[in-house]
Amino acid sequence: MPPGTMRSRTMRFSTMRLRLLIPVSLLLLAALPPAGQMASAQTTLTVGAIYVGSVNDYGYNRAMKDGLEAMKAAIPGTKLLQAENVPETAESERVMEGMIQQGAKLIFATSFGHQQFAFNLAQKHPDVFFEHAGGWMQAPNFGNFFGATQAAWYPMGVAAGKMTKSNTLGFVAGVPIGYVIGNINAFALGARSVNPKAEVRVVVTGGWSDKAKEAAAANALIDQGADVVTMHVDSPATVIQTAERRGVYSIGFQSIAARQLAPKFWVTGLGFTWGPFMTATAKSVIAGAFKPGMVREGLGEMITVAPFGPAVPAATRALVTAAADKVEKGYNPFTGPVTDNTGVVRIKEGESWGGDKMGSFDWYVEGVIGKPK
Amino acid sequence: MSTSFAAAVLTNSVLSGTSLLYATLGELVGERAGIVNLGLEGIMLIGASAGFAAAAVTDDPYLGVLAAGIAGTAANLLFGYVVIVRRANQLAAGLTLMFFGLGASALIGRPFVGAIVPGLPGLGMSVLGIESLGEFDLLVWLAAPVAVLLWCLIFRTSWGLGLRATGEDPTVAFASGRSPEVLRFQALALGGFLGAIGGAHLSLALALTWDEGMTAGRGFIAIALVIFARWNPLWAVPAALVFGGAEALQLQLQARGTAVSPFLMTMIPYLLTLLILVFWGWNRRSAAPASLGRSFYGVE
Repeated sequence: MPPGTMRSRTMRFSTMRLRLLIPVSLLLLAALPPAGQMASAQTTLTVGAIYVGSVNDYGYNRAMKDGLEAMKAAIPGTKLLQAENVPETAESERVMEGMIQQGAKLIFATSFGHQQFAFNLAQKHPDVFFEHAGGWMQAPNFGNFFGATQAAWYPMGVAAGKMTKSNTLGFVAGVPIGYVIGNINAFALGARSVNPKAEVRVVVTGGWSDKAKEAAAANALIDQGADVVTMHVDSPATVIQTAERRGVYSIGFQSIAARQLAPKFWVTGLGFTWGPFMTATAKSVIAGAFKPGMVREGLGEMITVAPFGPAVPAATRALVTAAADKVEKGYNPFTGPVTDNTGVVRIKEGESWGGDKMGSFDWYVEGVIGKPK
Repeated sequence: MSTSFAAAVLTNSVLSGTSLLYATLGELVGERAGIVNLGLEGIMLIGASAGFAAAAVTDDPYLGVLAAGIAGTAANLLFGYVVIVRRANQLAAGLTLMFFGLGASALIGRPFVGAIVPGLPGLGMSVLGIESLGEFDLLVWLAAPVAVLLWCLIFRTSWGLGLRATGEDPTVAFASGRSPEVLRFQALALGGFLGAIGGAHLSLALALTWDEGMTAGRGFIAIALVIFARWNPLWAVPAALVFGGAEALQLQLQARGTAVSPFLMTMIPYLLTLLILVFWGWNRRSAAPASLGRSFYGVE
């Protein structure tokens, strides 16, 4: 093609664009807010967030996104950069680096496996602040946070213990690591506090997100008599929908949004509420007063009890709410004597387990049927 | 409402085995024409996401199944172009198809993550007369009849004769006036349809959600099942049942509270795959289509 034709084509294109530009810019001007609001529309802080899965999972990632949206609503002028399905590989480092190039000064790396990559970037960019979910690494510009879930499962157990008719409760667990076993144990302790005949059956799927197996696991529990099922996997969606189809009660975990999936048989659930923490962190960055910490908060802070489903009687609601209040005020269900399911006393009279101990369970409490390993 | 343990295991074997059976049949028909498709996992994923997406848009799970089949056919025909027309290496092209399916399904399913779809409904009949067990959906009821139909198609029709000839020796099929290329394309179209329906059963009947990579290796198990089934659609039925059964059994054992390590139990289906390949694998030589994996370069 001779250069002449090319130029004329470009020129024609640019005049066309110009003609278009005038009405478009007029439209934009009309859409601009009045001068008084201009100041607040300026970006005060750009926050980056990476998620390991989709934010529409009714689970872990949805809860993270809800927290960030709450932060955005609380601090006018916050700009949010988000990336979903970011793998726990060096790829995540590139995604976060891109966010920093776009001006992010605070980054939430929300999955456990993002830790090392976020930490690398924290070393490289001392003026950018990082918060990682669930890890342990620390630096002047790198903190971490997570919900202390175990005790919060106690009131869930109370709900299940009261709702069950068969005295069999089903628990679908992804991978039986210490924290998950702790959740199951607190659930069983709560259930047996109101219903000493209740027992918890556990089915391990072997992964955090194998949906077809989660459905089969929930079916298996229901076949074996469970009439309340709950779960600790990335997204509660499959287990809750399977229970709803089979006409069995469900208790959710990760995001309280999951109750939409079970209009009839939803009992209650636990959801992470990261909003207040994320807001406070963003404010500290704006004020130049970021303090790294290893923040672990439980019920009433980073964890909230979801609204009850229509099938839950008032007396049960009152019991669950009372148990949740008790835990919020500091009650520790892992206060001795606690016996494991082989009859051995694991927490002696007068002792109690908390903090780091929550990750080191390798035994089930009395009332849980099954082997942990 | 605890039901008999054996009945529960059997029902759930059928439920878990259904998607495996469709996928196995899909792979089998292609292999009968001489084409190994290692991309079955990708086809299943495309079926799972396209089916879920279509069901979410139309609010009709059956249209979802249909859409899954069409999407699977399209993807498999693309694979066919690469290995039949361009004569690329089938193993390499198959693995590429697997990754293509992984990406394409993520792309299709992305806007529909978290959508609430009507699942495939259970069809009236309670299973084994036990009310509390989950009801079987249309795809479950059709799975075994489809296997029988496919057997008739392969072993009792002229088209099937041509298909088998193509798998054994394409030059023979060619000499008898058939086109090995056309037969292979037809086999892949049918195989893609069936494989994708296997994926759609996971998302539309079992999980009721779409999740990236949700087939979790079932496509590869189905490829192993073709060997176990000795390239015979009728044998594919017990093969899929045994593997569906291994998963159902270990989950039911856990739910029952059996004191066996859950780590050991989650291994059962894969251990079984290995064992069967070890003790059954020798049949490969005797039963496998002779031209499996070879391109047809025409006749001099």
